[in-house]
Amino acid sequence: MTATVNLAPAGLKPRTRHPAWAAFRRAVTRKPGRLAGLIIIVFFILLAICGPWFYGSLSVDPNELYAPPSAKHWLGTDFAGSDVLQEVVTGARYVLATAALSALFTSLFGVTVGLVAGYQRGMTDSVLMRLTDFVLTIPGLPLLIILSTVWSFGSPWEMGLVLGITGWGGVARAVRSQALSLRERGFLEAARGLGLSRRHIIVKEMLPNIAPYAAMQLMLSVIGFIGAEVGLFFLGLVPFSSTNWGVMLNQAVFSGGAMETSSALIYLLAPLVCILLLTLGIVLFLDAIDELFNPRLRERV
Amino acid sequence: MSRPKPLVAALAVATIAATALSACSSSSAKKTNGGTGGGTGGVFTSIDANNKITAGAPMNPYNAAPNMFLGYNIMELGFTKNDPADPNALLPGLAASWTASDTGLTIQLQPGAKWSDGTPVTAADIKTSLAIAYTQGTAGPVAGAGGTVVAGSNFEVSDVKDLGGGKIEIDQQPGVKNLYFQRLVLTSTIVNDKVYGSQLPADIWTQIAAVQGTDAAAASAASTKLAAEGKTIAAFAPAKDISAGPFVETRVNPGEALLDRNPYFYAASKISPKQVILRSYSGNQQIWGYMNGGELDYAPYTSMPTNILNQVLKAGYTRIDAPSYVSASIAFNEKQAPYNLTPVRQALAYVIDRDAVTKVGEPVGGIAAPTTTGLVGSQSDTILSADQKAALNPYKPDPAKAASLLQGAGFTKDASGQWHLPDGTPWKITLQTVNGFSDWIAASTIVANELTQFGIPTTAAITADFATYQKEMGAGKYAVGWWLVALGPQTDKAYARIYGSADGFSVANGQATHNDSAAGNWEHTPATYTVNGQSINPGQLAAQLSVTPVSAQGPIIAQLAAATNQEVPMIQIWNYTHVMFTLDKRFTNYPKTGQDDLLANPPGVWMMQGYVQGK
Repeated sequence: MTATVNLAPAGLKPRTRHPAWAAFRRAVTRKPGRLAGLIIIVFFILLAICGPWFYGSLSVDPNELYAPPSAKHWLGTDFAGSDVLQEVVTGARYVLATAALSALFTSLFGVTVGLVAGYQRGMTDSVLMRLTDFVLTIPGLPLLIILSTVWSFGSPWEMGLVLGITGWGGVARAVRSQALSLRERGFLEAARGLGLSRRHIIVKEMLPNIAPYAAMQLMLSVIGFIGAEVGLFFLGLVPFSSTNWGVMLNQAVFSGGAMETSSALIYLLAPLVCILLLTLGIVLFLDAIDELFNPRLRERV
Repeated sequence: MSRPKPLVAALAVATIAATALSACSSSSAKKTNGGTGGGTGGVFTSIDANNKITAGAPMNPYNAAPNMFLGYNIMELGFTKNDPADPNALLPGLAASWTASDTGLTIQLQPGAKWSDGTPVTAADIKTSLAIAYTQGTAGPVAGAGGTVVAGSNFEVSDVKDLGGGKIEIDQQPGVKNLYFQRLVLTSTIVNDKVYGSQLPADIWTQIAAVQGTDAAAASAASTKLAAEGKTIAAFAPAKDISAGPFVETRVNPGEALLDRNPYFYAASKISPKQVILRSYSGNQQIWGYMNGGELDYAPYTSMPTNILNQVLKAGYTRIDAPSYVSASIAFNEKQAPYNLTPVRQALAYVIDRDAVTKVGEPVGGIAAPTTTGLVGSQSDTILSADQKAALNPYKPDPAKAASLLQGAGFTKDASGQWHLPDGTPWKITLQTVNGFSDWIAASTIVANELTQFGIPTTAAITADFATYQKEMGAGKYAVGWWLVALGPQTDKAYARIYGSADGFSVANGQATHNDSAAGNWEHTPATYTVNGQSINPGQLAAQLSVTPVSAQGPIIAQLAAATNQEVPMIQIWNYTHVMFTLDKRFTNYPKTGQDDLLANPPGVWMMQGYVQGK
């Protein structure tokens, strides 16, 4: 028999620890690259949320078209004499909001369909997977081009919705595989044996176990969504009514001649560097997430 | 418009004095190879901005997007000079000369005019071509919407007679007096009867007579038949190109069209290039790339910023400027409040700084409109007297005057500086423009900024493509949007852009009728304006221009200019300039700025006159 000794000083409550938070902190700080990734992501999120508040509306100056970098304009100006740095900052909101909304729609549809299909199996599984197959075959790019005749895509909601609706198929399939594996585990058999409801099992038992995996899938899909939306604007396949990085790229190349002269080069490079940095940040941070949710990786460290 | 260089080029019209063409020709003749045949100039490389190379399209000039090119292998009897002082003034083409009369036109074909198969150009070719023009519904000044043939108001050719010796008589429909009959006939595309004649029904001229007849039912039936036949002809794909032009197309692929010199061309000795290569392109940026590499001997204008202009000039190109009778404007749908109020439109004209907008939107190929009259500056300058011009309001940027006008109309400004409509609603503007029209989009940025700064939050909205834009604008969907006015040196055409079908006016024989609920009326201006105490009907005045000789148009234009300037149905922002570039590396002796009659045409027409010689 072992005696229990209370080491806490008299009058003091024991310090509350959050194991998940501690594990997260350990995973992130174990390698400098992971921390750098997190900082980059947080930086861009703050940029998207707060940047436009500080900058306000985009100013134009017809007397300073394609001005070189200076103390007044750190990254020079564009075709309308607008500050490129200001455009990068204000343009971040659309890009990140679209990516976030796409991810939200993807997770909403993909995780739900994958979980239900994986747990239910049978006819429900067949129907949902055929639906998933159908979604996987929808050509997202042509669909966006057609929809651009109806929508201006001036709001991130519109593009986020379209990208999300056409992009959840892969997540659904991946989540279904995980769900199929999970449903054979003992704790789920026990839950079924206890007569817990289907909803309870899916939401309370399976979802928490799937969430880390789904989160990783989503972060990866965010990179794809950013590439897709910026690419669409860059190619001029969808009309644009707002400033964002894709529009900057399009106007730098097709109107400013960034590939022909150096005047519009910074206008081209600024959004490119942002996209590169943000992608790098996500990739670096994913390493930490991977370790956090993969016990075998934790054990090896 | 991307930004369609094609659009600018297509609409760009040259003019001014019909300069010494004969002198130019004689000077260039010195540079030909002793009149024994050109063809020593190597390969002339260019692009055709009006007609992109379309994979799979036939070598048929009547196709909507043919692989055929005006002035190279598409020929006309004459080529336009786009002279506002004389719209019927033309450069010789397949017709060496012509004489107009009250009943029609007699032309003399070029001596030795031949097709590329060695057979002569005959009256049968002209007759077939003019019959086809009737089926296309594009030849007349008031062709029906959608290309349908409108009885009694279209091409008005009633017969073509061979007088022998290359002399041909072209008769105008009895009782019809079209001011522009000569120009319309002479600028029709001429095709080979042996190739295209079989595509027409044997009774084609009977159908044309029926359309021109007084039996309305028969005219309508014939019109429907002609329109159907026109579609058949447009879809026709000849096995090979037979051209009466300086070049004949020997090969076309998605990347380029190759045209070889036509040895049977009537002025073959003047044609220096052995071959012409017309490159394909997908956008302005690709054309800039070609130019920076010195690959194009001639390039039409592409909407470009000044940094690209400098780069192109540095690559060795010479810029040539010619007048263009096209103006970019901001138009209003007066059915939607508050744009039905004249002080509102005037106030907006005072807020928008046209110089600044032009500098951003069209810095190379545009000149800020000096005021807004419905005509480009060079047109109104030559027609209006000094007093009439002085009476026009230039609408120089003046926010105080704009504010005063708005306050007078019951508008109010809140503490944050935003304007509210008389009913208290915050005033916001959506300025509509088109995807790919880079100059309009860039200009919208600054217009929106200026209006927002003034206290009217403005955003630019972009329609996916121009076809949708036109459709939605016609349906009255846009309260404020971009629009092109002028569109040519003819003043009646210019004012028809404002007071025509887009404003509920329909014209027949110089008489206009107004119907505010007519399909396609999106402007909804009042049927009459009161200007200087006098009530005028702008639609009727515009219709009168179509039947008034140019020399007598002055008083009508003065009224229309004053009314348009006062009522501001549209704010003209900039007038386009027809800018072109030539490279003096492989070829020389290009027309220069000032030779507006030549510059209104593509380089193939210059070559016919002896220009563009190999170095």
